[in-house]
Amino acid sequence: MTLYPRCPALLVCVAAAALAQPRSGVRLTDVTKEAGLAFVHNTGAFGAMYLPETMGAGCAFLDYNGDGWMDILLVNGMDWPAHKKQRTTPKLYRNKGGGAFVDVTHASGLDVEIYGMGAAIGDYDNDGLPDIFISAVGQNRLFRNKGDGRFEDVTRAAGLIGRESFSAAALWFDYDSDGRLDLFVANYVRWTPESDIFCTIDGRRKSYCTPEAYRGETSWLFRNKGDGTFEDVTVKANLFDSTSKALGAALLDFDADGLIDLFVANDTQPNKLYRNLGKGRFQEVAVASGIAFSEDGKARAGMGTDAADFDLSGAPSVAVTNFNNEMLAFFRNTGDGSFKDIAPTTALGPITRGSLGFGCLFLDVDLDGWPDLLVANGHIDEVQGAHHGDSGRAQSPHLVWNRGGRSFLDIAAEAGRAFVAPKVGRGVAVADIDLDGDLDILITENGGPAHLFRNDLQSDNRGIRFELRGTVSNRDAIGALVRVEVGGRKLSQLVKTGSSYLSQSELPLTFGLGHNNRADRVTIRWPSGRVEEFSNLAAGQTYRCVEGAGIRERIPLASRPRPASTNGPR
Amino acid sequence: MVLFSPTSRSLVGLAVTLLAVGLFSWYALRQVEGLSDLQTRIIDRNRRDSLQLLRIQNNLQNLGFSMRDMTTRTAGYPVAAWKAEFERTRFDLDDAFRIEHELGPTSRSDQQQQFLEDSVSQFWAAAERAFQLSGEGREEQAQALVRDILQTRHASIAGTVARFLVMNNEAEQKAAAEVRAIYSNVERNIYYFLLAAVVVICGTSVSLILQNRRVFRSLDQLSHQRQVLARKLITMQEDMFRSIARELHDEFGQVLTAVGALLARAQKPETSTEKLAKSLRETQQIVQEALDGVRSLSVRLHPNVLDDYGLEGAVEWYVRHISEQTGLNIECVKEGDFAGVVPPETAIHVYRILQESINNVVRHSDSKRAWVRLRRNARKLELEIEDRGVGLPEDPRTAEGLGLVGMRERAELIRGSLTFSRPAEGGTLVRLEAPLTA
Repeated sequence: MTLYPRCPALLVCVAAAALAQPRSGVRLTDVTKEAGLAFVHNTGAFGAMYLPETMGAGCAFLDYNGDGWMDILLVNGMDWPAHKKQRTTPKLYRNKGGGAFVDVTHASGLDVEIYGMGAAIGDYDNDGLPDIFISAVGQNRLFRNKGDGRFEDVTRAAGLIGRESFSAAALWFDYDSDGRLDLFVANYVRWTPESDIFCTIDGRRKSYCTPEAYRGETSWLFRNKGDGTFEDVTVKANLFDSTSKALGAALLDFDADGLIDLFVANDTQPNKLYRNLGKGRFQEVAVASGIAFSEDGKARAGMGTDAADFDLSGAPSVAVTNFNNEMLAFFRNTGDGSFKDIAPTTALGPITRGSLGFGCLFLDVDLDGWPDLLVANGHIDEVQGAHHGDSGRAQSPHLVWNRGGRSFLDIAAEAGRAFVAPKVGRGVAVADIDLDGDLDILITENGGPAHLFRNDLQSDNRGIRFELRGTVSNRDAIGALVRVEVGGRKLSQLVKTGSSYLSQSELPLTFGLGHNNRADRVTIRWPSGRVEEFSNLAAGQTYRCVEGAGIRERIPLASRPRPASTNGPR
Repeated sequence: MVLFSPTSRSLVGLAVTLLAVGLFSWYALRQVEGLSDLQTRIIDRNRRDSLQLLRIQNNLQNLGFSMRDMTTRTAGYPVAAWKAEFERTRFDLDDAFRIEHELGPTSRSDQQQQFLEDSVSQFWAAAERAFQLSGEGREEQAQALVRDILQTRHASIAGTVARFLVMNNEAEQKAAAEVRAIYSNVERNIYYFLLAAVVVICGTSVSLILQNRRVFRSLDQLSHQRQVLARKLITMQEDMFRSIARELHDEFGQVLTAVGALLARAQKPETSTEKLAKSLRETQQIVQEALDGVRSLSVRLHPNVLDDYGLEGAVEWYVRHISEQTGLNIECVKEGDFAGVVPPETAIHVYRILQESINNVVRHSDSKRAWVRLRRNARKLELEIEDRGVGLPEDPRTAEGLGLVGMRERAELIRGSLTFSRPAEGGTLVRLEAPLTA
């Protein structure tokens, strides 16, 4: 926008509007280069317009070497067979401390060519070391962390060989509460290069097909037998569904019965909500609970998803990214086991309507206690965007600031020029890479670089961090629910894998306490059912809690540079 | 000139137009009704039915894919894995079949419907059995059941549904053709109606314009006549006064002067008795002449003969009198029934018309002969005056002095008709017809 000097009134108006706009204080600094992330995603595209080329890939945070600093895994594609020009592999970057990274892919043994889509990190063998599952087009892979900085491919040994599909989201959780992490793999459609269909828009050139062109595929649930092998319990658990075209998956306890339920976002098919009945069985309740379709009864192009208690009601609500012109789905949990999409009736609709969303997750980016929503956008076709100067496939991400659970404001532009710059966004994950108490953001692009944004929050708000270790429960404590009471508010978060799009955030939980210096009360409900309670926990610390042993360690978080002016209490 | 009022013609035109509009509206409404009936009864219903059939087809296709997976996928799942999917599809299929049955066209035979229902229930029974076998671990038997029974039933259901769709399509095409026919009929008839309406409107307009022009021309003529009449009346009145004054001066003045002189001469003492007697004789002769003059003037002013002898007598007297006066040879003929008296208000006008006509013959015709014919019956009276003179000019209006105008006015006053014509033998025939009944 050009402001002419002869329009001082306009200038004043704009300035006044800018002053009137509430400020979050969120500053996201692009540190990709200085952190040493030199990664470009390879779609393998050579002109055949294969469907998977537009879909990948994801990313994950994990502390693979147990040094307390979050490392980065970037999933990559590869050249298609018979069209090989380069060798590309997933990349593992070790956090040297404070947010500086070094490429350890080769040393870790992860330099294997896979047409990778997403990653799920979980300590499936309960040895204290996070293992890696990479969902792929073709054979999925399981890498066991050997503890010496190296991973070994145990796909065959785990009994997962032959599991070939077009897999998307994957997540670890202990569905049968036996203390061992089981593996859920969401499959998209039945596609192989041989069964590729010729789709076209102009009648001449081939274009990328929509998923309608292909048949759906059932997702898989593998039960961890405890001996390093897995058993397919898809049918037994009642998850078999060959009509779904799943891309995203999220863990949540929507009915607050202590059993972790599973939400699956489907592309052009109704979403699925699997209620955990216990004893290893699920019941599909998406239609009955109002989360299967849009408010006008349409199955949308569900991509990424996340669940969180955004309104501090105690019940997790669900966000699902969709195609452009479909809006983000924001299913608010009404507390009685049903959901209502509030996007069309709030600012979320207008904010997200023009974008094609992929990765999305809740994070309290400004540590005010209210979970905000981060959405990575990027088209699959070359289209002319109309948002922040989007062009081609690139679209600006959204950072939706949650103001008291009632109103929403996109502060992506305020957060920084590099952050709001259009990207062909796909995966999104968060972690506190510099251990300063706020959450930093990793965004991957399809056929492009990964972006690491350090959160340089300009606010007095303080955070508190919890690292959980299960003893009776699975060691990662996935499925543990942590409630924090602070200043009369009750915040809650679930330790989880999955969510977002093909990506996984760090397992430790970060809560924003606002201006409060301590959490009044903290309750942990472990997956085993055990409940532990702590009170008066000071802010600015990482608490390492061990199931049955309480807080074993508290590590002070690095202090953030204080802003010159501070925000008033919100 | 006879004038017709345009009102009646306009009313007839309006009635015809209203009737035409009414008829056309009725026709259009009937066509629209037929169209709407066709649309709701056949096309809409068919379309909704076809949508349900497509929904069924979609579900059947999904079932078909699933059954193929059940029997062919090597690293696949047991047949029972598809149970939940089948149940979900069945829920939707049952709903679709129910709605489809309600919408199904009446043309479909009960036999066809029954066959479909039987096939569907056999399909689900077989599916249940296959899931049961698979649940019991008898996977091969379950797969065989899927292959042998389920897929066969599925094919026959799909075939029937496809046939129904084809039938619907045919019915729809037929209905569409009917609709097209209705549209083209209505379109053609609208053109006809518009054409007829244009013709009627043009005809009515032309008739009205002509009628108006005639009315205005008549009004113009009447106005002209009235003007001439008024002028002539005034002139005539003045002429009359002048004539009376001259008569009085010339005739009676001289007469009375002469009478006075004679009486003065008789009064003189030296007048002898003989001279006195001569003067008195002369005076008596002069008075007698004056009396004749007064009588003649009186008759001109008002023919008392009418009052005394009625119309027939007056006509006879006048013809005789004028023949004597002018030497014109007039033949007078009377025909018909002359019983009863012609009303005086009619008689005076007839008499005056005769007077004026004879005057015209005498003054302008150069004719030596004339015929006066008077015919009468109980209802009407006819008067004809014919001569063999030069005749009227081509355009009578140019020659219309007060005489002709006055004659017309008089004829109109007695609701009679007056015509001027030229007989084959030449000259002029003036003909008056006057009704005698009230």
